Amino acid sequence: MIGRTKPLDAGHSVCAFTLNGEPVAVAAPPSRRLIDVLRNDLLLTGTKIGCEIGRCGACMVLLDGAPVNACLTMMYQVEGRRVTTIEGIAGENGALNAVQQAFLEEGGYQCGYCTPGMIVSATALLAERPDPTDEEIIEALSGNLCRCTGYGGILRAVRRAAAIGKEAESRA
Amino acid sequence: MILNRGTAGPRWRIRPDGPGKVTGKLAYLTDMAAPGMLYGFVLRSKYPHARIRAIRTGRAAALPGVHAVLTWRDVPGLNAFGIARQDQPVFCFDLVRYIGDAVAAVAAESPGIAERALELIEVDYEPLPVLDTPEKALAEDAPRLHPHGNVLHRCEYRHGDADAAFAACAHVVEETYHTPRQMHAYLETEGGLFVPEPEGRLTVYAPTQHGLLDRLQLARILAVPEDRIRVVSSPIGGSFGGKDELNIQPYGALLALASGRPVKIHNSRRESVRSGLKRHPMTITMKTGVDASGRLLAHRVRIVADTGPYATLGAEVLNFATEHAIGPYRYENVDVESVSVYTNNGMSGEFRGFGGNQVIFALEGQMDRLAERLGMDPWEFRLVNLRRMGDPGPFGQPVAQTDGALQVWKALKESPLRREREASRNGGAANGMADDRGAEHPPWIRVGFGAAMVMHGFGLGYGIPDPAAGKLRLAEDGKIEAIFGYEEFGQGLLATIETLMTETFGIAPDDLRIICGDTDRVPDSGSSTASRTTAMIWQALRQMEGTFRRKLLETAAGLLGRPAGTLRLGPGGVTDAEGDKPLVRYAEIAAKAAEPIQTETHFHFPVSDTDRIGAHFLYSYASVAVKVEVNLLTGRVRVLDQHHAVAAGPVVNPQGYVGQIEGGSGMALGYALLEDAIMENGQYLTGNLDTYLIPTIADLSGNVAVEPIEELPEDDPYGPRGIGEIGSVGLAPAIAEAVYDATGVRANRLPIDPALLICPPEKLWKAVSGS
Repeated sequence: MIGRTKPLDAGHSVCAFTLNGEPVAVAAPPSRRLIDVLRNDLLLTGTKIGCEIGRCGACMVLLDGAPVNACLTMMYQVEGRRVTTIEGIAGENGALNAVQQAFLEEGGYQCGYCTPGMIVSATALLAERPDPTDEEIIEALSGNLCRCTGYGGILRAVRRAAAIGKEAESRA
Repeated sequence: MILNRGTAGPRWRIRPDGPGKVTGKLAYLTDMAAPGMLYGFVLRSKYPHARIRAIRTGRAAALPGVHAVLTWRDVPGLNAFGIARQDQPVFCFDLVRYIGDAVAAVAAESPGIAERALELIEVDYEPLPVLDTPEKALAEDAPRLHPHGNVLHRCEYRHGDADAAFAACAHVVEETYHTPRQMHAYLETEGGLFVPEPEGRLTVYAPTQHGLLDRLQLARILAVPEDRIRVVSSPIGGSFGGKDELNIQPYGALLALASGRPVKIHNSRRESVRSGLKRHPMTITMKTGVDASGRLLAHRVRIVADTGPYATLGAEVLNFATEHAIGPYRYENVDVESVSVYTNNGMSGEFRGFGGNQVIFALEGQMDRLAERLGMDPWEFRLVNLRRMGDPGPFGQPVAQTDGALQVWKALKESPLRREREASRNGGAANGMADDRGAEHPPWIRVGFGAAMVMHGFGLGYGIPDPAAGKLRLAEDGKIEAIFGYEEFGQGLLATIETLMTETFGIAPDDLRIICGDTDRVPDSGSSTASRTTAMIWQALRQMEGTFRRKLLETAAGLLGRPAGTLRLGPGGVTDAEGDKPLVRYAEIAAKAAEPIQTETHFHFPVSDTDRIGAHFLYSYASVAVKVEVNLLTGRVRVLDQHHAVAAGPVVNPQGYVGQIEGGSGMALGYALLEDAIMENGQYLTGNLDTYLIPTIADLSGNVAVEPIEELPEDDPYGPRGIGEIGSVGLAPAIAEAVYDATGVRANRLPIDPALLICPPEKLWKAVSGS
């Protein structure tokens, strides 16, 4: 069941961090899981929950730009840092980023439940390596499970996102 | 032609539900919350088989923050559920029969309080012997799990005298195949929100594959009229058959009504594994004989399925397995007997492929073994006995005729993968020591090729209610509503409806509103199962198209003062033959129409003229070729390349089509190489995705080519055939053959055990040194 820990009353323990570019302070004990704060307290349900042991990647978020499983991240680890969820990953003015656009065009999703985590991981990869090899894509997404697509559309989408990124760069 | 984004052209569209999915904005039913919401938890059995002596809930009920504690005493109606037969208790009262059995449920103000309350419920059990194999359950002195015994269902089919015919066979192959307890492993576990409404109504927001059937089942349990319950059931984070049967719905509904508050349940993965359905493990013995020319003279099959504690669709799965164990081949004599047995293992039930995956692994294994005995190429051997247009179905029943079997046989024969296989053989590279570019592999890497045929019936089959329906309506705001009682669990239902509607009527996606997954609004279109929905939507639209268009055009004609014959539907509104701009917009037609513009159709899935329960009338066909690489040091198999030819009529939704075949084959790869929810003494040895391994992107990075064969006989009235399941079937036997080709090891058990393929180092050393 989601939300194993009971939220404390406000004022008991406050964790301040940057969430999707905005400063936030939430009342939460240091050991409360980030996934519960996101989904249950802040109602940011784009971050999904699938295994709660860091295996499936449905809850992937960026912590200072690096992908982490929000089910394995406690609030004390978030203090003073930047958290980016699927809701905050879009480009400027809420336009889709290249990865989101490529997932749409290639059909890199079916039920869509793994998709936010998948897009978070792929976005982190392309931020670090704009022109990844297939091996690098596979490495970067091997912590994100998908049961619907067989990953074909996902692999094509990430390749395409890299191409979209390159095009944008050559225009700039 | 290989289907992909490039070859599909403009028909490769962005799904209407895509933007919500890639931005995280789409709320799944397990994402929902409501003010004042309670958290529901279910207490499940401590033992796989035990008598319940007493249940005491007083301490749990007294815990502050607990609003309801329910047991069998609190079920107002039928304390049982099951799609086909209602033999699964909502709450157990005398016996528990598996480790996922529900004994009590609580609703509390926080998950922590609810979990504490579960701990305070006292249940006195008297453990009973655990029937953890069908053999134990079938023993004469076995305790009875149900009043009628331990056999859920038997099925048989015979023609001729197989036993006598074996004597005349030149070659006979007898083998026993074992298939695993595969888990659906949808990423979204079961859950939902249950909201008591004014006037005694209840809204159930919970995934299912047939909302109206959930409503019926819940009405029986709650003892309320069906129209007091509204089931909202889409979108869904994957199902694959696993959410077809009720799961947490009875508990959420009962807790919401008992507490008068909204109740949320969302299974942990561990809870999902423990209580959820799996694919039936089957033991399949096949004895198959041919004459010297390769003609199949006799085929004898015995199937034993472990169905677990309750029926759900176990009997129907067995019927399907019995039919598909015969498959797309001609035999002189056939003799199939099958039995589905109750045990104290986990629940088995409906799962993509529906019993076909197991028996086709066995059947195709027989074909490969027989070809070897005959010294024939395994694919050429299949052609000798392959069904042809005009042949009856596997049970001898009349079927809608297509040339699908031969079409996919030929497509595979001409596939690049097949040519690569030929080249590797002509090049004399024994066991594929070199690849197509002549590159040498290290001696511990072996390459092999395999292939398999699939004939897959869709729809529920003869004798089972299989309704279809649809509704078209011009809404008050001018949107054209397409209303179907189907569910979007990821397969692309919405994209398929959008494609069919825009292509049928020439309207724009913006003109359309799709309504599904809400029992207050949809007609009874039947279930979203058995690869049936695309075909049923297509057929429904063929039936409604003329009437709806005529009504719209006649109304527009009246408004425009022109004959309807000069008008047509277009994007945004009604236009004339040349016009690209609407002469009158749909909103205006809706506002001015004297009577509602709508039409509705109800019909039954086409069935065979037979009396054989479960026999199918419509079939899809597929062939699968595969190239694998086996590492003899680790025993690991990598799937490098796949070619799927699918004969299933016109492609409705190209992206969805590719997705179904690729995704299905990914599941089949897991079935062949990785997946088994192992049980011991009725307990799962796996509880989460760390020990139950589904394929990752690293397992599935190989190439997958999907080749649809769209051609149907000229007068065929049935349109697109089902493809939702067929992609999940053929890859496992093809991999088994490819592994044999690479290593000489025949696997009769899935998943293929790497230990069988590891080559002792001294043999490798000899291979390296060439001695």
